[in-house]
Amino acid sequence: MNDKYLSVGAITRYLKSKFDNDDNLKKVYLKGEISNIKFHSTGHIYFSIKDETSKINAIMFSSNTKKLLFKPVDGSKVLVTGRISVYEATGNYQIYVEDMIEDGIGNLYIAFEKLKLKLSKEGLFDKKYKKPIPKIPNKIGVVTAKTGAAIKDIISTIKRRFPICEVILFPSLVQGDGAKDDIVKNIKLAQNYDLDVLIVGRGGGSIEDLWPFNEESVARAIFDSKIPIISAVGHEIDFTIADYVADMRAPTPTGAAEMAVPNISDLINYINNLKIRLNESMKKKINYLNLYLDSIKASYTIKNPLIMYENKKQKLDILLDNLNKSLIKKYNNYKHRYEIIKNSYVLNNPKLMYKDTVNKFVNLVQKLELVNPLNVLKRGYSLTYQDNKLLSNVTNIKINSNLLIKMYDGEIEATVNNITKNK
Amino acid sequence: MTKEKEKTFEEKLKELENIVNELESGEIDLDSSIEKYTKAMKLVKECDEKLKNVEEQVSKIVTENGTLENFEVE
Repeated sequence: MNDKYLSVGAITRYLKSKFDNDDNLKKVYLKGEISNIKFHSTGHIYFSIKDETSKINAIMFSSNTKKLLFKPVDGSKVLVTGRISVYEATGNYQIYVEDMIEDGIGNLYIAFEKLKLKLSKEGLFDKKYKKPIPKIPNKIGVVTAKTGAAIKDIISTIKRRFPICEVILFPSLVQGDGAKDDIVKNIKLAQNYDLDVLIVGRGGGSIEDLWPFNEESVARAIFDSKIPIISAVGHEIDFTIADYVADMRAPTPTGAAEMAVPNISDLINYINNLKIRLNESMKKKINYLNLYLDSIKASYTIKNPLIMYENKKQKLDILLDNLNKSLIKKYNNYKHRYEIIKNSYVLNNPKLMYKDTVNKFVNLVQKLELVNPLNVLKRGYSLTYQDNKLLSNVTNIKINSNLLIKMYDGEIEATVNNITKNK
Repeated sequence: MTKEKEKTFEEKLKELENIVNELESGEIDLDSSIEKYTKAMKLVKECDEKLKNVEEQVSKIVTENGTLENFEVE
């Protein structure tokens, strides 16, 4: 009988599963007004969203509230995104809010995201285009309203930190119609004033007030600036397109002034410190050189100069020794060769050298002797001259002429008595 | 307004820092050390003077016709 009765838990779980399995309820976009808002100590926010006819409970967990760009209060008109499910303990269905923005600015928000994406794709936010902010500027330009907290904060901060810096204000509309064109005009004008850095911004305000700094023309003017630009729009939590394009983003106008100039007393200290380091390093260098010089002066050799001389002397002795040795060696060498030559067989038997010659000579003499006519005389022959002419026949001899007859061992003068010619 | 630009304060400071680092490295000979030291001391003096002796600057505002006028915060 009891079988058809369900437990409360069971029906609740059933209902919850119905909610959770419905794709339409997984991501719901809701529009309404906040009421009954409670900030729990855990960081979660509990509230209701209502319109003229209905109301729905809402919870936003702390993990999501960090993303909130505004502080929701009762009566805030909001656009929320979330899923709808059932809280079993109370049986209430509610929206679990993941994202919530202020309504009315919804269109602005979309425009912001669209422009941000577009410029980002074009590279206007790229790090490589960020110009460095000079550390010690001479002249700072400020594009902001002539009246109001922003310029007051900037000037007083610069005066306090770095009074020797010149500030030039380019008074500009910073909200409402015409503000964007005026800002653009002033950024362009500022290019001609030999500035080291330009601060562009304004004090806090509603998102509509800050809107000129989300305009494309302002972003492009900032990007085109030759002067490094520090953006300073609103408060810490306000992010504008100008902040993304600027070379540096300051959380507030005061912050921008702090980034733009150094603290003069820090700088004086720093230079003093450099001076000390300069003197110290010089002192160190001189001390080092002095020590080095002392160590040289103290060295054994400088103190005992004779050592240098003695070393040389020793070397000289060795060299002389070597010289002697090599001379003696050479001498002995030659002497030895001389001995060898002196003792050679030929020199000791010189006759050997001319024996042949003597033999030849003897032979020649013998041959000459053979033909010597005087030798013929020895054998009994004689030579007969008439009028100093040798006679070889009797034809020209005259009776009673004188003849000279040469014999082996003397001469005879004779007179011709008779001549008989052979027949 | 087109006077010859002398070195800016920042450039002088950079140069000074470089010399100090160089001298601290101990890698230069005595003669150039002295030369650099002298130069550095001159830079220190110039920087010091710039910081201590320059009068406080008056803020200016650019007027409609582009001229500069003194500006006092209200």
